[in-house]
Amino acid sequence: MTGKERMLEAFGRSESDRVPVWEMAFNEESIIKLGRFFTDDLPPLKFAQQMTVEEKIKLLMTLFTVIRQLELDGITSIAILDTEKVDEDHVRDGWGRIMRISEEGEATAVAGPVSGPQDLEELKPYHPRQSELMMLMAAKGNFGNEIAQVMVQPGPFRESWMLLGSMEKLLYFYIKDPRFVHDLARIATDFILEITDMAAELGADIIAIDGDLAFSQTTLMSPAQYEEFILPYHKEITQRAHELGMLIFKHSDGNMAPILAGIVEAGFDGFHPVQPQCMDIGEVKTGYGDRLCILGNIDCTYLLPFGSEEDVEEAVRETIAKAAPGGGYIISSSNSIHPGCKPENYIAMVKAARKYGNYPIEV
Amino acid sequence: MEEMLLLIRDAITAGDEDAAKKLVGEALKAGLEPRNIMERAMMPAMEDIGERFSRNEAFIPELIVAAAAMQEGMQLLKPLLTAGEKGSGKVVLGTVYGDIHSIGKNLVRMCMEGAGFEVIDLGEDLKTEVFVEAYKEYSPDILGLSALLSSTMQRMKEVIDAVRVIDPSALIMVGGAPVTSDYAIEIGASGYASNAFEAAMNAKELIV
Repeated sequence: MTGKERMLEAFGRSESDRVPVWEMAFNEESIIKLGRFFTDDLPPLKFAQQMTVEEKIKLLMTLFTVIRQLELDGITSIAILDTEKVDEDHVRDGWGRIMRISEEGEATAVAGPVSGPQDLEELKPYHPRQSELMMLMAAKGNFGNEIAQVMVQPGPFRESWMLLGSMEKLLYFYIKDPRFVHDLARIATDFILEITDMAAELGADIIAIDGDLAFSQTTLMSPAQYEEFILPYHKEITQRAHELGMLIFKHSDGNMAPILAGIVEAGFDGFHPVQPQCMDIGEVKTGYGDRLCILGNIDCTYLLPFGSEEDVEEAVRETIAKAAPGGGYIISSSNSIHPGCKPENYIAMVKAARKYGNYPIEV
Repeated sequence: MEEMLLLIRDAITAGDEDAAKKLVGEALKAGLEPRNIMERAMMPAMEDIGERFSRNEAFIPELIVAAAAMQEGMQLLKPLLTAGEKGSGKVVLGTVYGDIHSIGKNLVRMCMEGAGFEVIDLGEDLKTEVFVEAYKEYSPDILGLSALLSSTMQRMKEVIDAVRVIDPSALIMVGGAPVTSDYAIEIGASGYASNAFEAAMNAKELIV
């Protein structure tokens, strides 16, 4: 059975030979630290933005080596939008969004081309270029159909607030100017649909919709606000993905319980990452396991950064016991393998998944 | 007079900036003491919305528009408040180095202002020395540190240790998604909150 088949079986909520192992994201430091276990041919430890083209290619090859060596069942690609440098810490993308790059290598929008409804007329929609999906092309070229090709992109909520340069501003307009929120979501959704079409053409199997909608306590917006401002756009995107023969899941950190029913209604096939600090994977499995594939839940806040390999093995065993029976579970960290995670712990997580994740589950 | 205070309170909880500004203006004209308006209408309004937020009856959009309405009213009151009436105390806030996330810290700022604190927001991705310099410059009653990542969360301890060198009794609060009360105790913080409203309430208790 191939990794891709295993992932698709899990989305179909049936048992395959074993629980698939996949990861939403790695970054430069975690790729290089994991790469050290398998190869000496590594790029220097710095952010992709500061790497030469050759170093970036080497970084991608290192990621492929890690995935191949650990026999992961899927790979996640992102659209890397062309940017121009503004200063040491900031870049500007084709929308005119200014992104700040942190020491952790993460980029976030700090200023957008729109400050209010008055700016919409002047806003020129940015159309993605196929070259910006180079990572997916390379992943498909390297792995073909051996493993599942997952393409992640920000959802309508995140794309909308990035146009404003601030999440708070978007949430302010939820009450002050609902029409404007819809106009932004329309622009964002059209962009997402364009990338979705391109991803399908390039051979993606699964679309992941990023963009947190919740924090530890509850959702950022009320369930009613989710239904009004996000759900219709989610529906459009899931329909398009399905028409193109792809599966699609929603990613959000935080406690998503108040809107999980909406995520099902929107047509998503899965939910990631069921953050263990605020959601119980057993409860999610009981409540939604018949309608959603569940992905994630292995804690990357404390366990993978600070725990021991034995702690990781135990957490994997417990999580598989709760989420894997009957199928419909893909194991991954509770967000990503970030620089704080010990590479040894990630390898221990993958090994434990192989040890305890064989169907029928006997843990 | 009581009715006017109630109207201001309602305008703020509803997030109606124009009404809040207009009503505070009218209340001042009618001779109400600025301090009275702040303490009996504006702060209770933010407390109402904060409590509803803690009970998941109000969400972040409601909190943000209420804070915006409070700000509108405060613009009129601030110049009229004397030094002794400046409110609950002074807070310096910031997100630690390597962390560019702002929303958690910004919500804390809104709730702290809503609770009557003067807040100096240093921003995000700040090196330890920026906090130390700001502490020396502003002598705040409380220093608040925010982090969203478990990797950057560890930098909070560096800041706490550095600030305590210049002021061993400095009151330092920490918060952010990965932070727990156990972690706050472990790194020597003076206070912790699991959400923005709780941060404001705990800050008040801390400086009593």
